[in-house]
Amino acid sequence: MAIGSGKNPLDLVFSSLTAIASFSVIFFILGILYVLISESLPAIERFGVIKFLTSTDWDPVKESFGALTNIYGTILTTFLSLLIAIPVAVGIAIFVTEIAPDFLKGPIGIAIELLAAIPSIIYGMWGLFTLSPIMSSHIEPLLKRIFGPIPLVGLLFQGTPMGIDILTASVILSIMIIPFTASISRDSFNLTPSVVKESAYAIGATKWEVIKNIVIPYSKLGVFGGIVLSLGRALGETMAIAFVLGNNHRITTSLFDAAATITVTLANEFAEADKDIYLSALFYLAMVLFIMSFVTLALAKYFLLKAERKYSR
Amino acid sequence: MTREQRRKAEGGLALTLSTLAALMGLFWLVFILGDVLLHGVKSLNWSLFMNDPAPPGVEGGGLRNAFVGQLMITLSATLIGVPIGVLGGTFLAEYARGSRIARIISILSDIMVSVPSIVIGTFIYAILVKPAGHFNGWAGAVALSIIMIPVVLRTTEDMLSLVPWTVREAAFALGAPYYKVITQVVYRGAATGILTGILLSIARVSGETAPLLFTSFNNSFFSYNMNQPVASLTVTIFQYAMGPYDNWHEQAWAAAFVITIFILLLTIAGRLIIKWRYR
Amino acid sequence: MKTILMVVLAMALMVFFTHAEAAETLNGAGATFPYPVYSAWAFDYNKITGVQLNYQSIGSGGGVRQITERTVHFGASDDPLRPEQLQKDRLLQFPAVIGGVVPVANLENVKPGELKLDPESLCKIFLGEIKFWDDPKITKINPGLKLSHSEITVVYRSDGAGTTAIFTHYLSETCPDWKSRVGEGKAVKFPVGIGGKGNEGVANYVKRTANAIGYVEFAYAKQNKLDYLQLKNRAGNFVEPGFESFEDAAETGDFDAKKDFYLWLTNAPGKGSWPIAGATFILLAKEKTDSNKNVVKFFDWAFKIGDNKAKELVYVPLPKSLKDKVRAYWKTNGLQ
Repeated sequence: MAIGSGKNPLDLVFSSLTAIASFSVIFFILGILYVLISESLPAIERFGVIKFLTSTDWDPVKESFGALTNIYGTILTTFLSLLIAIPVAVGIAIFVTEIAPDFLKGPIGIAIELLAAIPSIIYGMWGLFTLSPIMSSHIEPLLKRIFGPIPLVGLLFQGTPMGIDILTASVILSIMIIPFTASISRDSFNLTPSVVKESAYAIGATKWEVIKNIVIPYSKLGVFGGIVLSLGRALGETMAIAFVLGNNHRITTSLFDAAATITVTLANEFAEADKDIYLSALFYLAMVLFIMSFVTLALAKYFLLKAERKYSR
Repeated sequence: MTREQRRKAEGGLALTLSTLAALMGLFWLVFILGDVLLHGVKSLNWSLFMNDPAPPGVEGGGLRNAFVGQLMITLSATLIGVPIGVLGGTFLAEYARGSRIARIISILSDIMVSVPSIVIGTFIYAILVKPAGHFNGWAGAVALSIIMIPVVLRTTEDMLSLVPWTVREAAFALGAPYYKVITQVVYRGAATGILTGILLSIARVSGETAPLLFTSFNNSFFSYNMNQPVASLTVTIFQYAMGPYDNWHEQAWAAAFVITIFILLLTIAGRLIIKWRYR
Repeated sequence: MKTILMVVLAMALMVFFTHAEAAETLNGAGATFPYPVYSAWAFDYNKITGVQLNYQSIGSGGGVRQITERTVHFGASDDPLRPEQLQKDRLLQFPAVIGGVVPVANLENVKPGELKLDPESLCKIFLGEIKFWDDPKITKINPGLKLSHSEITVVYRSDGAGTTAIFTHYLSETCPDWKSRVGEGKAVKFPVGIGGKGNEGVANYVKRTANAIGYVEFAYAKQNKLDYLQLKNRAGNFVEPGFESFEDAAETGDFDAKKDFYLWLTNAPGKGSWPIAGATFILLAKEKTDSNKNVVKFFDWAFKIGDNKAKELVYVPLPKSLKDKVRAYWKTNGLQ
């Protein structure tokens, strides 16, 4: 304990209060974990761990539950959205730090922040009413025409483009995570010492060469941390995709098929599960999601801290 | 093409691409906001704020209950979350400054900020809704406050750390006990920063839907009673947008418009305060 | 300054508290099928009595779950519970209104009521065996319609739904393949398609997706101007969904208070019966006598005054004889 505590009784009260308040964070994390585990015990006993994680069955009639379709949907949408978001986000970061004239940097920064502030339910609603019809009538048929005939790749673009599918959900997710990745990348880029950059310019490097050979290698740890952080965010996103994913408990190969993520399954079925084992299985799913995102976010934090230490040296 | 030209071309291409990326980011923002604005303004009218929902097929319903419910839930969440968050941040930045436990809690808070909010909803359902025997507004408020606490806590910690140590020493020299130094000197120095954190955390939870779905639930009537299900704008948007009626869709757009504007204004206010105070 | 702000805010909160018990609230949750009629009744009832009957349509599965956990005053389900289960969970059950589930499609150049299906083709579509609208099994019974070679998108309910229970009960009754491969229940594992949340969600998806087929409660089909179909009933006639055909099915039903009114109305034998009709039920917690009396008061009022409103929304009010049986059931259980 630091200076001053304990001498005055009021000080003891105040310091204890602050300690309790800050330990509440640990309490919440342990509490969430405890509740999720105890509520999912019936399902854990019935379905085991490996079997639950690898079974594709989600059948409330036969009371047989497996998480794989949900995990598959979660990972697939997250992966696709990162695939779309990363290049755009890094591009934005490059533009803001290296290209944009000074008077543009502020406004673009704010625009990106605003994109991050829009609530996910708005993304979801916009996705359902505006993006999904555009996807189904223009973009998806186009993709189907271009990629459909190609072997293997074509498998991704089979079926009727309905706009309520994996692709639309991934596009919305990607728009949501662009701001996170972009702002962390921008901060990392900004940390590159200007001395190093200037010496590269001095020996005749072009702007792009400086970015490619100096800035990106220097800040790759931070950017990577930002990407993992976005990954953690995307895993847990619910409302933005609940509207457009179609809640379909099957493993599909086509991006034009509906799917289910853990979050969407919870949002749709949690308040409505009629049997105890059904609800327990949903708690089990929530626990899987909690652990998945907790580990991802912890990893992200690890990389970001490591990056921070590296730059501050 | 010479090597020189190739280098120039490659650079030009890369820079053009990143400019396009930035334009794309702007494009989405304009697209989404523009869409919400256009649809929202069209459906805005007085009855939206003055009337309660009418059953399907009856004209003239509004969302008064959801506006008030949203305010009640957010306000209660703020009243629960802000003191805990500020005090918790104080512990990390003052009493436990530099200690191992402070680092751990700080890292855990950063993780908590991004924990899926729907999981928090299931947690609260198990500990507050089931034992209480009914859905209730308080459960929704607590769920939101759990999302809020880590945000406020981390901002407070950072802002208190920015207050120079010498300020505290000056106060100690006058014989003030530590709690007085914190509440009367350190808080004053960090007030704007903490306020910004609070504003941003309110903005963050105002848009949350998932933790409210099975906690505060929904209510088709106007009610002040936080012990009963309480309507919220976000859950209503979910219900109305997924619903089949055109006037429901219009009201959902209008509600989306109001809540988006509210959150964006809070966010912009937060940013402006930071800019004005710390530059 | 901040302390003052906090005090003001805390006081504002206290105001909420003191106003808390101003209006009597009854919370109900469950089936989306009767949501339009319950909320219309509740709207009028509130104007007369001031009682707020807050009914949230979260699906029949949710209705059963929430009343079992006692988180609401009454639950609602279209999937009647068996007397044994009611006994086990200490619940009471009675029917409130009768309606019909109708398949709806979104097809170009086809008007509501024009397309005809028989149980077999309907079943095969939902099994994913009939993939295109111009399948011979469909064109055979629709000689006058021009159906294009477009892929069928099946839309089903993703939540635990009584509508699904009635629909899959009907398919299981008429189609052995369905019974063995999928089964019946409030949530089943549909072999193909996309899932919408609630009757609203399905209606919305069908409306927005070309060449889709789904199933909704009739009121939702009508209010959304969805293209409903004609179905071949047990007597072998093609019937249109509507008030008469639902009523015809309702009249064949023999509800028994001793069995807590457990009964299905699907595949009714009447000549003009709509084959996918069903009653929707109210569930009460046996021990909550006080709130039960208030819920019963509401439904008693609705049985007296609400018939016209129900008809307006294309629900069939319970026949007089059945209402009397329900009232007797209330009396036996000490609720009136």
